[in-house]
Amino acid sequence: MRLVSGTVYALSIPFVEAFAHSAAGRTRCDSVVVRVVDDAGTEGFGEGVARPYVTGETVPGVIDHLGRVLWPALVDRELVCLRSEADLYALDAAIPGREVAGWIADGASRAALELAIVDCALRRQKWSLGRLLKPRRHRLVYSGVIPEASTEETRRRARQMKLVGLGQIKVKLGGGDDVERIRAVRETVGPEVSLRVDANGAWTPARALAVLRAIAPFAIAAVEQPLGRGPIDDLRRLKDASPIPIMVDESLVTLADAEALIAGRAADYFNVRVSKHGGLARSLEIARWAGEVGIGVQIGCHVGETAILSAAGRHLAAALDEVLFVEGSYGSLLLAEDVAAEAVRFGHGGVAPVLTGPGLGIQVLEERLRRLAHTIVELGSNGGSSCLRS
Amino acid sequence: MTTALRSRIDTLFATKVAELGGSPEFEGLVRGTATATDYDRFIEGVMRTHLRSPQLVAFLYALAPPAVLDHLLANLLEELGRDEPSGIAHPALLRELAIGAGLGSQLPTLETEATAELTRLIVEPLLYGTLRDVGLAALGEIVAFEYMLARVAGPVARALGRHLSLDPGAVAWFTHHAEVDRGHAAEGLAALEAHVAHYGVPEEDALTILELALSPNPFLKRYFGVVGRPIGRPIGRSTERPAGLRRAVAEGAS
Repeated sequence: MRLVSGTVYALSIPFVEAFAHSAAGRTRCDSVVVRVVDDAGTEGFGEGVARPYVTGETVPGVIDHLGRVLWPALVDRELVCLRSEADLYALDAAIPGREVAGWIADGASRAALELAIVDCALRRQKWSLGRLLKPRRHRLVYSGVIPEASTEETRRRARQMKLVGLGQIKVKLGGGDDVERIRAVRETVGPEVSLRVDANGAWTPARALAVLRAIAPFAIAAVEQPLGRGPIDDLRRLKDASPIPIMVDESLVTLADAEALIAGRAADYFNVRVSKHGGLARSLEIARWAGEVGIGVQIGCHVGETAILSAAGRHLAAALDEVLFVEGSYGSLLLAEDVAAEAVRFGHGGVAPVLTGPGLGIQVLEERLRRLAHTIVELGSNGGSSCLRS
Repeated sequence: MTTALRSRIDTLFATKVAELGGSPEFEGLVRGTATATDYDRFIEGVMRTHLRSPQLVAFLYALAPPAVLDHLLANLLEELGRDEPSGIAHPALLRELAIGAGLGSQLPTLETEATAELTRLIVEPLLYGTLRDVGLAALGEIVAFEYMLARVAGPVARALGRHLSLDPGAVAWFTHHAEVDRGHAAEGLAALEAHVAHYGVPEEDALTILELALSPNPFLKRYFGVVGRPIGRPIGRSTERPAGLRRAVAEGAS
C-alpha cells in the first residue's frame, strides 16, 4: 500500500454546552483530522487533539508538523500490511520520530496520521480493527464526567447522570469547594455509583493531600493527575500518603514517562489516551506494560473528540485484558455535530457495543469535515502541502 | 404532579422561550434586520424540525395514559389534517411556507434532511432505560414547542409577512399554531401531568428529564443552529495551580 494524497482538516465544532476544568475552558472541538488516500483509492481517517498543557502541541503546530515532517516521510512509500498487532508497531516505527522544540511529544500529530493509515489499510483489506485487536469483551461501559461547576450545577449534572444510568462518574476538581461538590455528588447518586476525581494538575502536594483526605470518606475510586507534570518523587510521596489511588494523565505522555513512573512506583493507575500517546501502537504498548506490572488502566479521552478517536478508543478498550474505566464516545451529548454517519455515543448505563465495520468501524463524511473545518491543507504526492482554506 | 412541579415546568418552558425571544437571531427576524439568508435558514430550520411531527405525535399517542388519550388523538388527527373535512395536514402547510418563501427547489433536500433527523433519533442509543422516561422526554420537547409557538408564532407570521412579503397562505403554518397551540400548550401540560402521575415518575426525576430534553435550548438549536451557550463557571479560580499551567492558560492553551 502506498499513500498518494492526504488532507488535513482543522475542525471547529461547537459544543452543545461549554465544558470547564481547572486547566482550561472549552466551547468547541478543535481536533485535527487527517484523511489519507492510497494507490487503490481507499480512504482512511485519523484524528489528533492538540493540547499545549498535555503534549505541548498546538493546532497550527500539528498542521505544520504533519506537512513538513511526518507526511513527506511516508508518502509514496510502500507501507506494511496490517495482519497482526506486530504490524501496528512496525507502522509506528515507520512514522519518523523527531523532537520539536517546546513540545513534550508529537502525540496528536502522530495519532492523526497513524489512525488514518490504519483505517485506510484495514479498509483496503476489508478488515475491521477488531480483527487486528481482538476484543476481550463485546460491549464497553463508559463513565460520565462532571465539569468544573458550582455545587448546585454539579448536583444537577449528577442527577442527570443517575437518570441516564451511569455507574461510573468522574468529577473535575480544583476549586475551593471541592469537598462540598463531592459531597453533593455522592448524596445525589447514592453509594452504588463509582466516583473518581480529576484535578488536572491543579494542586500543590500539600493541598492535594488535604483535599484527598477530606473526600476519602465519600468512597473515591481514584484521583487523576492531582499534581502538575513534574518530579516523579513528588508524585510517589503523595501516592504513599494518599488514602485514594493515584492515576497519572498529563504526567504520562511518552514511553519514557511510563518507564519512569513504573520504576518510581509513582502511580496506581495510568490514564491512556490514543491522541496523547501518538496513536494505537504506543497506547497499546503502554497499556500492556502497565498491566504486566499491576498498574490499572483507564482508556481516557480528550474533551471534544469526534467519532474517529471515539472509535479508536473503543477498539483499544475492548482489546485489553483488563480496563478499569473507559471515557469518551460522548458524541451528540457534547458535539453539535459529529463527523461520522453513525452515532457512536453510548446509551443508557454508558453502554456501547464494540464496533465491527471495516477500518475503525465508522463512516466519516468528508463533506462534513470540509464544512466544519476552519483550515484545510492538502498534502501532495510529492511530499509538499498547500493550504486550501485558512 | 404537584402544583409546584407544574409551576417549575412552566418556568422551565418560559425560560427557554425567553432565551429564544432575547436572542439576536430571533430579534433580527422579527425586526427585519436579519439577512435574506438568515430568513431562509430559519424557514429551513422550521421545516426540518416539524415536517415529521405527525410521526412523533403518533409515538406519543402510543404511550399516552388513558386520561389524555383523546387529547393526543385529536392532536394527531389535526397534524394529519383529518380533524375536520377541510383540514390540511401540517406538513402540507410547511411545504406552502417553503414554496412561498422561494425555497421550493429545496423541498426534496429538506424532506430528506427531516427524514434523516427522524432516523437519527430512532437509531441513536437511548439514554433512558424505560419507554416511560424516553416518552416523557419526547412529550416534554413537543409540549415545549407548542408552548413556544403559542407565544411567538403570531409575531413570526407578521414578521414574515412584513419583511419577506409572504402572503397569508404561506404563513398559515404559523398563524394556525398561534391560534391552536395556546390550547395545545395547556393540554400538553396536562398530558405531562398525566404521564408523570400514571407512570409514577418521581417529580425530581421528571424535572431533570425535561431539563435534559430542553438542553441545549431546542428552539435556538433547531431553528437557528445556535448551541454552546456556556453554563459552567469561569476557570482559573485556583490560586494553587502550578506556574507552568497558569502560563499555559494565559497563553490560550486549553
